[in-house]
Amino acid sequence: MKSPESNASRWSPMARGCASVAILAYLAAVIVPPLAGPAPASELASRILQPLRPLVGAVYLGHGYRFFAPNPGPGHTIRWTMTMPDGSTRSGRIPDEALDRPRLLYHRRFMVSEKISALVPLADAPADIRERAKRDWQPLVKGVATNLLRREGGLSVTLETVEHYLPDPGEVLASGTYADAVTPLGSYAWAEPPR
Amino acid sequence: MTTVRSLPARRTVSRSAAQPPAPVLVSRGWLAEWVAAWNAFWFTPADPLPLAVIRIVTGLILTWSCVVWLLDADAFFGDRGWLRPDQVWRMNDQPWQWSGYFVASSPTMIRVVAGISLVAAILLTIGLATPLAALVSFLGLVSAANRAPLNVFGLDDTLGMLLVPLVIGPSGARMSVDRLLAGPGQGRGGESSVRAGIALRLLQVHLCVVYCFSGAGKLFGASWWEGTALWGAIANDRYRTLDLRGLAGHPLVVNALTLATLWWEATYAALVWPRLTRPLCLAMAVLVHLGIGLAMGMMEFGLAMIAANLAFVSATTFESLLRPFTFRNPDSPDILPGTPSDHP
Repeated sequence: MKSPESNASRWSPMARGCASVAILAYLAAVIVPPLAGPAPASELASRILQPLRPLVGAVYLGHGYRFFAPNPGPGHTIRWTMTMPDGSTRSGRIPDEALDRPRLLYHRRFMVSEKISALVPLADAPADIRERAKRDWQPLVKGVATNLLRREGGLSVTLETVEHYLPDPGEVLASGTYADAVTPLGSYAWAEPPR
Repeated sequence: MTTVRSLPARRTVSRSAAQPPAPVLVSRGWLAEWVAAWNAFWFTPADPLPLAVIRIVTGLILTWSCVVWLLDADAFFGDRGWLRPDQVWRMNDQPWQWSGYFVASSPTMIRVVAGISLVAAILLTIGLATPLAALVSFLGLVSAANRAPLNVFGLDDTLGMLLVPLVIGPSGARMSVDRLLAGPGQGRGGESSVRAGIALRLLQVHLCVVYCFSGAGKLFGASWWEGTALWGAIANDRYRTLDLRGLAGHPLVVNALTLATLWWEATYAALVWPRLTRPLCLAMAVLVHLGIGLAMGMMEFGLAMIAANLAFVSATTFESLLRPFTFRNPDSPDILPGTPSDHP
C-alpha cells in the first residue's frame, strides 16, 4: 500500500496548488458567515466577510447555523380574517396543520410566520420601537396579505401574529390554560382590482 | 526501592549541543510537514462509494423538496407570492444571492424552472448524467432558496452543504445508472479518486463547522446549561408531531437529554475524527436527528443531516452493508481502500 503522500502525488503540484486555493476559498466562505452573524458578532468577522460576499451568495453559504440557539423559543402563527367579494368573511392561520400537508409544506409556511414574527415587537413594546420595527416588517406582511388575497380571492384581509405561550413542566402538569400574545399587523386591501 | 538509571542523551540534544540546526531548515521542515499533512488530508484518493450513498439519499430528499415547492409554486416564486421580488433584498444579500426565478417570474416559467429542478433531482438520485444532474440540482436549490428566503430553513442549508461535494466529486461512479450504462468493461467503476476524497473531506469539514457553530450558539442559552432546552422543543405545539409532554414529570430525563445533545454538538468537531469516538458521535447524530424528525416533524431535515454524517462512514463499511446492490469489478484494486475518514 502506498503512503498517503505518494497517493496525493496522483495530482501534479500545480493541480494541487490550484485545488488548495479553491478549497481555502470555499472553507473561508463556509466559516466566515456564521462568525459574522447573527448577533453578537465581531466587526472583524464582518469586514472579512465583505470580499467573500459574492462567493458566499453564489454558492448559498450565508448561514449562521444557530439551530435552536441560544434557547428554543415559542412558536408563532399569523392569523388572518378576510372579507370576500360577497361580503362574507373567511379566516385561517399560517401555518395550518390541518390544511398544510405534507409536513414539509407546513414547515415552509411556518417559516413565514416565524421570520416575520421575529421582526415584530410585542404589542406592549414602546411606541418608538414598534414604529421603527414596522418599517422592516410591514413590506413583508404586505407580501403575505397579497398572497392570501390572491389565493383566497378576497377583497381585504386583517392580519395578526400570535406568539404561542410556552408552558413550563409545572403548568403542563397542572393542565392549565394559557394566554397567547397577539400583535396586530394591520389590514390590507388591493390597491387596484385583482387581475 | 526504585533505582535510578541514567538515560542516554537524545540524539537531537547532543546534536544541538554540538551544532545548532539552522532556523531556516527547522522552519522549512515544519512547513514541509504542514504541506504533507494538507496534501494527505485533501488529496488522498478515496473510494466514491460513500459519495454515491450520500448522492442517493440527498437526491431523494431533494426530489421531495422540489415536489413540495411545486405544490405551491406561485406562492413561493410568483410576483404575488409570499415575498415580492422587489422585497427579496430585505431577507438576503443582493445582488449576490442570485436566482433563476428572478428572470423566470411568469407562472409558466416558474413551473418550467421548478420542473427542471425536479427532473435534475430525480436524475441525481438514480445517477443518470450525474455530473450535469448534480450541477442543475444545486442551481435549482439555490434558485429556490434565494427567491423564497421567507420559506427556507435548516433543510435547505443542509441540502446546499450536501450538493456542493456531489458536484465536485464523482458521485455517479458507484450505484448509478451511469455505471450500468458504462458496462463492466468501461472504467470499472469505484476506483479511488482524488476528487472523491476532496468531496468527502469538504463535507466532513463543513459538517464540523455546522455543529461547532450550532453548539457554540447553544452555549449562550441558559436553558441549555440548565438542561431544560429540550422541554422548550417538547412544549412548542407549532413543531410538535410526537407528544412527549409526559416528560414534564421527569425533569432529570429532560436534563440528561438536553445536556447530552448540547455536549455532543459542542464537541462533535473534535470527537468525530478519532476512530475511538467516531462511532459514538455518529450514533448520537442519528439519534438526535431522528428525534428531531419524529418529534418536531422535520424528518427531511433530520435525514439530510444524517446523510451528511455518512461522510464519516468508511467505504468498507458501506461495502459490506451494500454488497448486493453495488456494481463493481472485483479485479479493480483500491490504491487506498476506504474514505479519507479512514486516514486520520
